[in-house]
Amino acid sequence: MQVDAIPLALRYKIQYPDEFINAIKRGEILATKCKNCGATYFPPQRDCYNCGKNEMDWVKIDNEGELMTYSIVFQKPQGFENYDNYVIGIVKTKDNISLMVWIKGEPKVGTKVRLTTDGIRLIGEVIK
Amino acid sequence: MGKRVAIIGVGNSRFGKRDDVSIQELAWESIKEALNDSGLSQKDIGLVVVGSTAYRGVELYPAPIVAEYSGLTGKVPLRVEAMCATGLAAALTAYTAVSSGLVDVAMAIGVDKMTEVDTSTSLAIGGRGGNYQWEYHFYGTTFPTYYALYATRHMAVYGTTEEQMALVAVKAHKYGSMNPKAHFQKPVTVEEVLKSRVISWPIKLLDSCPISDGSATAIFASEEKVKELKIENPVWITGVGYANDYAYVAKRGEWTGFKATQLAAKQAYEMAKITPNDVEVATVHDAFTIAEIMGYEDLGFTEKGKGGKFIEEGQSERGGKVGVNLFGGLKAKGHPLGATGLSMIYEITKQLRDEAGNLQHPLKKYIGLVHNVGGTGHFAYVMILRR
Repeated sequence: MQVDAIPLALRYKIQYPDEFINAIKRGEILATKCKNCGATYFPPQRDCYNCGKNEMDWVKIDNEGELMTYSIVFQKPQGFENYDNYVIGIVKTKDNISLMVWIKGEPKVGTKVRLTTDGIRLIGEVIK
Repeated sequence: MGKRVAIIGVGNSRFGKRDDVSIQELAWESIKEALNDSGLSQKDIGLVVVGSTAYRGVELYPAPIVAEYSGLTGKVPLRVEAMCATGLAAALTAYTAVSSGLVDVAMAIGVDKMTEVDTSTSLAIGGRGGNYQWEYHFYGTTFPTYYALYATRHMAVYGTTEEQMALVAVKAHKYGSMNPKAHFQKPVTVEEVLKSRVISWPIKLLDSCPISDGSATAIFASEEKVKELKIENPVWITGVGYANDYAYVAKRGEWTGFKATQLAAKQAYEMAKITPNDVEVATVHDAFTIAEIMGYEDLGFTEKGKGGKFIEEGQSERGGKVGVNLFGGLKAKGHPLGATGLSMIYEITKQLRDEAGNLQHPLKKYIGLVHNVGGTGHFAYVMILRR
């Protein structure tokens, strides 16, 4: 006989760097760069695994890139059910940093995109 | 280099939606079969590793429960997890225990009961199979999305088509329908695959493996023990390889193959002193159809970019250059995460012993390969098996 088991509700709180979230609100995308060895990190890191130091600068990411690949999400997961189908893409900038973004406009591999934000997340706008 | 290690017993439960059993009962199905297959009993096993992702079942810590139910209490100090590669992660752990000389006989049990939670929750858990903080939270990734990113790029760079991907599903369902333990028992056509509901374009429902319940078990023994027990049909593990890759998928730099697989394969081939051309039968991790096409390339069965042609030409069929996923693959046999890698060992062991019945691939060198990917290339394991 199948019975309902006791549900497990997981409620989480997580931490993001203030600099990163505030920049998104301004339409900017920030990475971290090690003051000592110059290694750049996206996702941003507080600690440099390259040289072991932990003094970082926040640096702006180049706002133009190439759409490397994408997928159109039809079946949406929890927390995203109320969105229309959205396009998740990977964009590589001229500085060779690659980012996950939502793509606005007609997606095509190899197309140029402008990196911005919608105040909440990173957006890649297809340049016509 | 450690001691030589052989597989001396294997078991595989029926895969599918198994409302009829608890996780411990499901595990016992394959444990019992493996014990019978080896001729051993619980007291002969020195160490047991349970591979289970567990997140989708009510028992979040299944190892002691499985141990108790199966008469293995006292021998099970750990559970291992490597997402979808959990099964081979457990196998590697058991292998190393024997290879190092810690024990003479070790067992790896892979089990997951994934259908205890509803599908929507299951998808949400799968969608976190990357990096929650920097991916899912902002972008609502699903697990198919990650594979779809690879499919789109493979199509753009190498001209791989949705029809070629559909052929992987057709092959899987054909063999799955001949395997009574497979989740799906019905063949499908290319047209049915192409017309199935889009999940995360270009991946459609029939490009995707099902959410399954199942278990698989393998028993590993040292060469001395094989002789002492007079095991007639040992299957030797002659090469092992393992690797991982960035969690944040954008950081990987290329999206047409899995670097983790390439590294694991190189390591395993070198240890086994063989080349990809020596492999006659294989399981290739086909969670989605594009995964099998990339697997042909990453494992060196064909050149980079030619994976679509490889399936089109029938080279991965039974009797082809390399018989791939002849028990139905993840795609049709099913993909109970913890069990999958050990089910792959079960399958190749059966093939190398000429015990695969109507799914037997013709063998000359008796060299097989198992390939298990965790996440979307987050982990990869390769093992070379020989009779």
